[in-house]
Amino acid sequence: MLPIPLCEKLLAAAMSRGADFAEVYAERNEFTAVTLEEDKVKSAQNGLSQGVGVRVISGPRVGYAYSDDLDEEALLRAAKTAAFIAQSKGSERSYDVRRTPLPTFYRLDEHLANVDVAKKRDLVVRANKAARAYDKRIKQVMATWADSTKHVLIANTDGRLAEDTQDMCRISTMVVAEGKNGERRTGSYGGGGRVSFKHFDTFTPEIVAKEAARQAIAGLGAAEAQAGQQTVVLAPGWSGILLHEAVGHGLEADFIRKGTSLFAGKLGQKVASDLVTVIDDGTVANARGSLNVDDEGNPAQFKVLIERGELKGYMYDSLNAKLMGQKTTGSGRRESFKHLPLPRMTNTYLAPGEDTPEDILRSVDKGVYCANFGGGQVDITNGNFVFEVSEAYEIKKGKLGRPLKGVTLIGVGPEALKNVTRVGNDPKPDPGMGTCGKDGQSVPVGVGLPTLRIDDMTVGGTKLGGAR
Amino acid sequence: MSTNYGALAKKIVQRAIKKGAKQAEAFLQVGRNADVRVRDGEIEDLTQATSKGVGIRVFVKNRLGFVWTSDFDPSAIDTLIDRAIALAEMSAPNPLNGLPDAKDLGKFPNVGELFDKRVADLPPDWKIKASIEMEKVIRSFDPRIKTIDSVGAGEAVSEVYLASSAGVHGSYEGTSVYLYASPVATDGAQLQTSYWYDAKRFFEDLDSPENVAKKAAARAVRLLGAKKVKSAKVPVIFDPTMAAGFISNITRAMNGDAVFKKSSFLASKLGEKIAPSHVTITDDGLRKRGLATSPFDGEGVPTRKTNLVEGGVLKAFLYDAFTARKAKMKTTGNAARGYSSLPSIGVNNLVLEPGKRSPEDIIKEIPQGLYVTAMLGHGANTVTGEYSRGANGLWIENGELTRPVQEVTVAGSLTDMLQQLDAIGSDLTFHGSTGASTIRFKELTVSGE
Repeated sequence: MLPIPLCEKLLAAAMSRGADFAEVYAERNEFTAVTLEEDKVKSAQNGLSQGVGVRVISGPRVGYAYSDDLDEEALLRAAKTAAFIAQSKGSERSYDVRRTPLPTFYRLDEHLANVDVAKKRDLVVRANKAARAYDKRIKQVMATWADSTKHVLIANTDGRLAEDTQDMCRISTMVVAEGKNGERRTGSYGGGGRVSFKHFDTFTPEIVAKEAARQAIAGLGAAEAQAGQQTVVLAPGWSGILLHEAVGHGLEADFIRKGTSLFAGKLGQKVASDLVTVIDDGTVANARGSLNVDDEGNPAQFKVLIERGELKGYMYDSLNAKLMGQKTTGSGRRESFKHLPLPRMTNTYLAPGEDTPEDILRSVDKGVYCANFGGGQVDITNGNFVFEVSEAYEIKKGKLGRPLKGVTLIGVGPEALKNVTRVGNDPKPDPGMGTCGKDGQSVPVGVGLPTLRIDDMTVGGTKLGGAR
Repeated sequence: MSTNYGALAKKIVQRAIKKGAKQAEAFLQVGRNADVRVRDGEIEDLTQATSKGVGIRVFVKNRLGFVWTSDFDPSAIDTLIDRAIALAEMSAPNPLNGLPDAKDLGKFPNVGELFDKRVADLPPDWKIKASIEMEKVIRSFDPRIKTIDSVGAGEAVSEVYLASSAGVHGSYEGTSVYLYASPVATDGAQLQTSYWYDAKRFFEDLDSPENVAKKAAARAVRLLGAKKVKSAKVPVIFDPTMAAGFISNITRAMNGDAVFKKSSFLASKLGEKIAPSHVTITDDGLRKRGLATSPFDGEGVPTRKTNLVEGGVLKAFLYDAFTARKAKMKTTGNAARGYSSLPSIGVNNLVLEPGKRSPEDIIKEIPQGLYVTAMLGHGANTVTGEYSRGANGLWIENGELTRPVQEVTVAGSLTDMLQQLDAIGSDLTFHGSTGASTIRFKELTVSGE
């Protein structure tokens, strides 16, 4: 992408005011998308984003500048702008970088950018057809294909040079079903990851579309959820979003260093039930959150965050690691060259337990089964989290009952984790559709969970009375 | 402003037509931005950048192709135009496709000044000093404030150039400047944070660093000791920032595309009374110095002011050219976009007209209720009309704000919530481009214990 001598020249310019560290991050990202709605392929699109960001660190100060002009003059200007925060005497030193060998957690037979757009279009056409064929009450179908092939180069004054090509794709389908008296229910499903195009030979658009349609139809005639504290059972897979929100974010090192997370200073302490082991693993083959190398040039890692309820570790990028006297965990990620890296999750999972999903359901006399989640959000400071449950059923005497609508789960991270009373033996990753937002930056992530029972969870709803 | 970019946009359109597009459009953005955050009286990070990009939309035999790039190299752009025309082959022909009709184009309105030279020339020193001042004010506000998530300041200058074969060529340049702070308070047992910011086009309109810092600090400290409350149906008040969020949520149901697809709970309600008479909501693309004010929308249609709800009656939906054609309506100049996306319906400056009563007056009448100052989750479903979000705030007891509350949800149906909106305060506050006052719902379900 950038010639190595130019990288070295930029590093020298970035260090011209005597900083501790400098880094060049270059990126070229090609996007393709096809959208379908109202029975028609609406658009096919291509995009190209490329640019270079230069970061300079001097003590606790960070300077950052980026440019989408790749000529030497513009890049040198960016390097000097980033150097502004350093104020000691410069030196004439030069910096050599050397290529770091990288592991391979995703190897595609063909980069997604090179796959014929017509093939991508055919997937959304098939998804539309399958969703409409599922049930005549399906009135609206939106199907989208999106892929990107991103090439990154990272060079820094530690002498590191890392380059990686990161493909990513996702097919998604959103449907609206219409029932009696104009009742409307939505369903959505999708998936992908750092996978070859042939992944969709088995994870077919028909599977995706039918699942979206099934959710919408299943929700028709749903009853109002009862508000108050209840026992909840989470379905395996995508429900892992709860873990991502409820604990994951609070274990990111920037929040720990600043003391703004309620998990700060709690290493070695009991923060969850004995049944809870939480892992963040950037090395899962072909998963959406996996990285051969993070956006600071460090290899992704397998990290145990919570082991049998005990807080074991945090997720570090290199800056926070350095300021805290720790080592990076390969968790430095950024949305693009327009952003500074932040400590972020990759693929975050709850380790499996010993109960069968059937036993877990049978153990609940009265509660709510959460089959699918919309989105969630967390306040990492007070630990409050919220989830919209897009598909829910009541549980009565160990069996699934009527579908419920308008269910929201709310809680405080560690309290909810202490109330985990059963963990299933059925671990399941999500199908590859998660995107995580933090400080205005979006990055792809994976989540996963076995069937899980949590007691005393606050369920938001519109119906009052008789709770518990 | 550089005339070169305007010329480049025109040239792209000409090239695309020459290469076989029936219609073509180039939407070009150029910008620069700078942001500073401080910690312990020193720079934490300082970011400065320039960026640019162009989105090229072509129509070939009623088929749409779209490409975008940040690379302005002439040969790269030329290759990309070919690509756009090839991509059009992939999409379905639709006679409704195309640039806005001639009758919807025309003279751009006079929207006043959007560019402040003082903001464009703001030195880094001002941002550093303002941020350090905010940090000091926050630290001395209350001993229980122990740390700060972030405190900073920044500005952005952006230019937009649009050219299309429908005969549009226009440009505008705007500035924005902002301050933000999010302190964290602790009482030993609990941590609470809050957030406050101000963003304006003109420097002289910007709130002082001291005010921003004090508001942020007060909002964090007053949540200390927050607890759940018992589930109940009670009156609920949203402060102006939460009210602005509610108004944005409601307005998503007024998106003409959602309405056409019957994916909006308001789809069949045009002309009906959906709220009490004191509720008036406007989408104002012309608001003087508004952050979302511009002379034309993402496809060159002149912007305007649209009354969405007037005296409680649903008056209009928002349209771009394509959706308007589909729904046999007129575009309202609400095609929103950046260079890397196709136009789609969005809002300009949204305003809930303020009422006459003070917020204190509105709170005073409540024997038991919830005053909401922060929310979590995205739980406003404008398709089904269901609303359920996590809420933090203060419990109201005998007309007074008393103990802090967290870990509860407020829920209702959006249809009912609009009808229940029984009081609007006089304290109109703009948070970004949406302005609203304190609002009260007669009764919502609060779920806690």
